[in-house]
Amino acid sequence: MLKIENTLFTAVMLLYFASMILYFVFIAVKNDKLSRVAILLQAAGLVLHTAALICRGIGAGRLPMTNQYEFATSFAWGLCLVSLIFTYRFKFPMIGAFSAPVIFLIIGYAAMQSREVKALMPALQSNWLGFHVSTAIIAYGAFGVSFVVSLIFLLREKMQDRSFWDRHVPEKEKLDLISYRSVCLGLLFLSFCIISGSIWAERAWGSYWSWDPKETWSLVTWLIYAVYLHLRIRRGWKDRSAAWFAVIGFICVIFTYIGVNTFLPGIHSYK
Amino acid sequence: MLKKIWKYLSSMQFAILLLLILIVSCAIGSFITQGQTFEWYKEAYSERAAALIIATHMDDLYHSPWFLVIAGFLIANLLLCNLIRAPQLFRRFKDEQKIDKALSESVTCSFHSVDKPGPVFAALSMPKPVKAEADGKKILFSSSNRIGLWGAWICHLGVVLLILGFGLGQMTHEDYSLYGVSGQSKQVGDTSYICSIDSFRVELRDDDTVSQYRADITVHDSLTGNSQAAEISVNHPASLFGYKYYQNSTGWAARVSVIKNGSLLQETVLCAGESLTVMDLPELILHFNALYPDYVFIDGRGPASASGALNNPAYLYTLYYKEQLLGMNVLMEGETITVDDYEFRFSEPQNYTILQIKRDRFTALAFAGGILTLLGIFLAFYLQPRKVWAVQENDGSWTVSGLSIKSSALFREQMEQAIQRSQNSNT
Ligand code: HEM
Repeated sequence: MLKIENTLFTAVMLLYFASMILYFVFIAVKNDKLSRVAILLQAAGLVLHTAALICRGIGAGRLPMTNQYEFATSFAWGLCLVSLIFTYRFKFPMIGAFSAPVIFLIIGYAAMQSREVKALMPALQSNWLGFHVSTAIIAYGAFGVSFVVSLIFLLREKMQDRSFWDRHVPEKEKLDLISYRSVCLGLLFLSFCIISGSIWAERAWGSYWSWDPKETWSLVTWLIYAVYLHLRIRRGWKDRSAAWFAVIGFICVIFTYIGVNTFLPGIHSYK
Repeated sequence: MLKKIWKYLSSMQFAILLLLILIVSCAIGSFITQGQTFEWYKEAYSERAAALIIATHMDDLYHSPWFLVIAGFLIANLLLCNLIRAPQLFRRFKDEQKIDKALSESVTCSFHSVDKPGPVFAALSMPKPVKAEADGKKILFSSSNRIGLWGAWICHLGVVLLILGFGLGQMTHEDYSLYGVSGQSKQVGDTSYICSIDSFRVELRDDDTVSQYRADITVHDSLTGNSQAAEISVNHPASLFGYKYYQNSTGWAARVSVIKNGSLLQETVLCAGESLTVMDLPELILHFNALYPDYVFIDGRGPASASGALNNPAYLYTLYYKEQLLGMNVLMEGETITVDDYEFRFSEPQNYTILQIKRDRFTALAFAGGILTLLGIFLAFYLQPRKVWAVQENDGSWTVSGLSIKSSALFREQMEQAIQRSQNSNT
């Protein structure tokens, strides 16, 4: 099973890479058909990615979400899923175009991690693990989408070729709304993630909050998106500050995920 | 002036400022290792930095007075905001279903000359519209998700309870730790409870990795004479007499025998890290440093264990006489150390358990806060209030209008599509 997973993983990387290149070409040559093919490639990548995760789960005999490699590949999967849903729902291929490099970077990071399957230490053997990590994956995916949409929001005015952008990128009011909807999804799931993590920590370690760096950074991320919401309410969609917070929020997501494990070891460092 | 301060304290501007300060403080706290001494920080950073860290309480940032003050302000800010908004919200909640209110309000969008408004309501997944009349005109009206108006309010209340529950728990919680091998009984901190470790097992998988630590314990209340028993393992704590018992960790222990002139003088089970004072020569102390279950000696590294399995146990000890170091060495199973008339021997290597015993009466409050926060977030984001109404004009056609404050851009599009679909189905 793990061999099949390896092959599928390579195919997924190639598909994501091809879709990213096609998206770039779509923006460069402004050919709408290319965006449709890129979306299809991304969707095919997602299907194989799902199969790869299932193979990993069967091969390891547990949910594939417990080490740096497994979480990285699941993170890329979550971002791809949410970005495709938002691309479809808002008929907005630029979401896919901007997400593709982020997805590729994350899956590239996953490829650099050890794929060894290790037995779980007792503290990780909990039904809460699956819920805790799956909610994180959806939350991170949704924040990734709000990041790319907010970037588009911030870049929109600077674009020279107005006709292409006007055709492919909605008005700023709608961009703000799409970013807001993805933050809503992300924040709801991040809240689920933090609360389920606390319940689990309470059962495993007897303390539901211990200011472990990963906990602290998930709180920082949560608070940043709270600031985003309030700035948006206070200043309205025309103001750029909320969009900046969505960008900073995702940088914090990445830091919470990669930076904390690298620079600030704690119980979440998978060591 | 007072009014101004009051207004600022309840304002969203202040809320944003507080959240930003919290974000920066939490981030700083995560970079500075918490709970260390001045010497430690001096070593890690510099003398100046260490002095600054200690002076500003950044060594224990999350419990520092200034961090508590910020949390206090946040609670005050949230409570004031909720208090001020409650009456308005209540009014809006009631008005949400009033047709005359809708007619006099601004709208997100309006569409004229619609032949049949019924399908528009259906396409927008609105509840079945109620019929009414105003100024002699027929009106259809539907509103949904008005409960969503309370989302932010409930979320704010949840955050307040969460912070309060956490803060009160931190101030009042009891926390004890206890260790021992099967058969030992120990007092739980300074409480009246005696905890007996009836048995303790380390369960291994085929590859020698640990699958579970399991302990059977009985807790005896020395005041009432009552006892309660439970099995605990990692992720499965038990509540006994209002305290929660956690299987926290484990270590190695062994039986130590002291033999004097050929006969047994003293025998006890020592956990690694503990010492034994010889009964009739208290100046002679044996310290049990560590146990290597599968002993190997690695050049350049010293004694180590090849695996976690008890294949070749060895005991690292230190001997002191009158506080002077007599010697430190590794002893294999069956070997003895002799000091004058005294002989020491290690046997019966076994695991001891470390239990964590906790009581936090405010966990339920914090949990309730968490659930309310979640519920509030869900209501605010996924049950956004919207109203749709249709007024029949004199020519028989309808003007369909809608209002959605939070998602107007999307709602406008959805209405356009719904109108288009209903017009198409007519033609
Ligand atoms: C950690 C702290 C806080 C969290 C997690 C939080 C969360 C939220 C959420 C989820 C919303 C709904 C946003 C939306 O629907 O787009 C909201 C709205 C709001 N918040 Fe907060 N908030 C916090 C602190 C505060 C504070 C301290 C104030 C004090 C002024 C405040 C004032 C408001 C107001 C006035 C609204 C708009 C309410 C509405 O649209 O009905 N928030 N907040």
